[in-house]
Amino acid sequence: MAFDIATLDAPFTALKAFNWGSDANAFKPIDAAVIAAHADATLRGELEKRFGQLLGDDSSRATKEYVCRKLAMIGTAASVPALAALLTSEDHSHMARFALERIAAPEAAEALRAALGKVQGALKIGMVSSLASRGDKASVSAIAGLLGGDAAIAAAAAEALGTLRTPEAAAALAGAKAEGGVAAAIIDARLACAEGFLAKGDRAAAKAIYESVNAAVGAEPKTHRERAVRVAAKRGLLASAE
Amino acid sequence: MFLRRELAAVLVAALSLSAMPGTRAESTPAASREVFDTVVELIRSGDADMRPVAMEKVRKGLKGEAFTRELAEKVLPELKKPEDQAALLAALADRGDPAALPGVVAVAKGQAAPAVLTAAIRGVSALGGADELPLLMSLLAADGAIGEAARGALVAIRASDVSARLVQALGDAQRPSSDRVALVGILAERREAAALPALVTAAVDADAAVRAAAMKALGTLGGPAEVPGLVAGVLASQAGAERGDAERALVLVCTQNRDKESAAAAFLALFQVAEPATREALLPTLARVGGPAVMAIVNGLIASPDAAQRKLGLTALSRWPDATVKDQLLELVGKAADEEERRLLLGGLIRIAPLPDNGLDPAQKLALVEQTMKLCTRDEERSRLLERAAAIRTVETLRYVLPYVDQPALAEPACLSVVELAHHQKLRDGHKDEFVKALDKVLATTKNDEVAERANRYKIGKTWERKKKT
Repeated sequence: MAFDIATLDAPFTALKAFNWGSDANAFKPIDAAVIAAHADATLRGELEKRFGQLLGDDSSRATKEYVCRKLAMIGTAASVPALAALLTSEDHSHMARFALERIAAPEAAEALRAALGKVQGALKIGMVSSLASRGDKASVSAIAGLLGGDAAIAAAAAEALGTLRTPEAAAALAGAKAEGGVAAAIIDARLACAEGFLAKGDRAAAKAIYESVNAAVGAEPKTHRERAVRVAAKRGLLASAE
Repeated sequence: MFLRRELAAVLVAALSLSAMPGTRAESTPAASREVFDTVVELIRSGDADMRPVAMEKVRKGLKGEAFTRELAEKVLPELKKPEDQAALLAALADRGDPAALPGVVAVAKGQAAPAVLTAAIRGVSALGGADELPLLMSLLAADGAIGEAARGALVAIRASDVSARLVQALGDAQRPSSDRVALVGILAERREAAALPALVTAAVDADAAVRAAAMKALGTLGGPAEVPGLVAGVLASQAGAERGDAERALVLVCTQNRDKESAAAAFLALFQVAEPATREALLPTLARVGGPAVMAIVNGLIASPDAAQRKLGLTALSRWPDATVKDQLLELVGKAADEEERRLLLGGLIRIAPLPDNGLDPAQKLALVEQTMKLCTRDEERSRLLERAAAIRTVETLRYVLPYVDQPALAEPACLSVVELAHHQKLRDGHKDEFVKALDKVLATTKNDEVAERANRYKIGKTWERKKKT
């Protein structure tokens, strides 16, 4: 039986007026509608339209967060523009990414990639993290370009490249300057790439990374971390050689 | 915190390598040799960080007997550090390739450091078979960890004829008594039914230590088929501690074993066809097993006009395993004209009244304690009863015992009983105020430092660790 969309008018009015501390029961029927939308394309479209309107108007942060959570469940390419518009907002970027990370449509990744060049600081780190979470290999080059900049962003970029584990990611990490606080992230990411290569049976690529990391840490490591890296590299070398 | 997270990330990366499908692919001989050389280099380096990395490869990688032999016969003897030797021996044992055995045996026969020797002994156990038994048995008499490792190795070693060879060794009367005692324990721990006849034979051995060990083993392993052997063991034991332990083993088989009814029936059948002197020796043990048929025998003896027979019956009654005989005991104590007879029966009542599995509920147990207390004529008996009353874990027992703290002659056993009851946290916490007052009274009365320490601990909600009996 088709869901009666007209029954959602009052709940959506309540949702628009919602703020933290007010009664959330008034728009509870929307939860049921979201569940029903998984099997009802018309309902999904209607919900996305109404959610999009709420994201674009002056509704509260609480309302927008609720909407983002629901779009993470049922969102499609149709919701991407409304969500993308929030990516540069200090208040809403996080929840917009929360939804876009989970929307399977390639438009969602494109929106995150486009926003990467427009934001700075924590928001940029967030974009890098979301692209890595999506496994978006098309963003490797853009992320690699961040390795030489701000230390926090560079560390996040290294971690993302270690998650993506492509040959390009490994090459970018190999060429990056492993200095200061970024050094640890780069080495961890390189070991992660090597692990990925080994899992795919590319022993030569893995071995090259392990040899390089082993050489970088030296024969006489001084810190606990260096010793742990040496152990990891040596184990990797043995695993990739046999 | 950040550093710890980083280290964890690196180590997780390192550890996950061993689970990767890519690492399981077939490798070329040249590649394997390269890895082997690296592993050997890591082992020889003595680097504690790298030791687990190398040993993991010894355990699970580097396939082939040739590598095993090289590790055991070339690398192992050249290592200088005992920790490297012990680690390699343990890894070779886990590798499970018998090709390492000659190298491992050579270390076990040598004069290595104790940690190395114990690792070699475990290696012999993991990789060897019956041919290694003489070596392991020769190490049984060694002190401390080495003797213990040899014992553990003999329990763990697996091969078709190991048990038969151990049984054969046990039968060799020329072996030192300590070795034969150890062999009995080893056979018992191996839990092989084939060893039971050997244990039955050992239960009547000329050596008292071997007999005692065999009876103890049969008490846990034996069943109805071993009852004749256990009975023979009881009869062969010397009066005193050995007899007590032997009787306990037989009673265990007849009351705790999975097939206890059959075992008890077998014991009764043997008793009924035994010579009078043997019946006399066995009756106290049979009484501890209990049952209607035994009760009929006991009652027959008690009714006998022969004083010796009556005493035998009363002794058996006093050892009854549950409280079904309480009324009979109460009546007989009340009527006893002979002081020795009265003490014997009263001892039985004191024993059974608080028994956890005597068939009475806690109120009935306490009522029986009160009845028994009235029949006591000596402080020694009252003391014993007060101490045993603590086995009835109720607040009513506390209320019964507490007034005795005021009686100088009974104060210490009463104090001990109070702290024993307080030891049980649920009981103590359920009646906190009452216990605090009782413990204060104990603290004001007792001269026993341990009882005072316990009372102080329980008062503030702490527990107390009972010292293990040696």
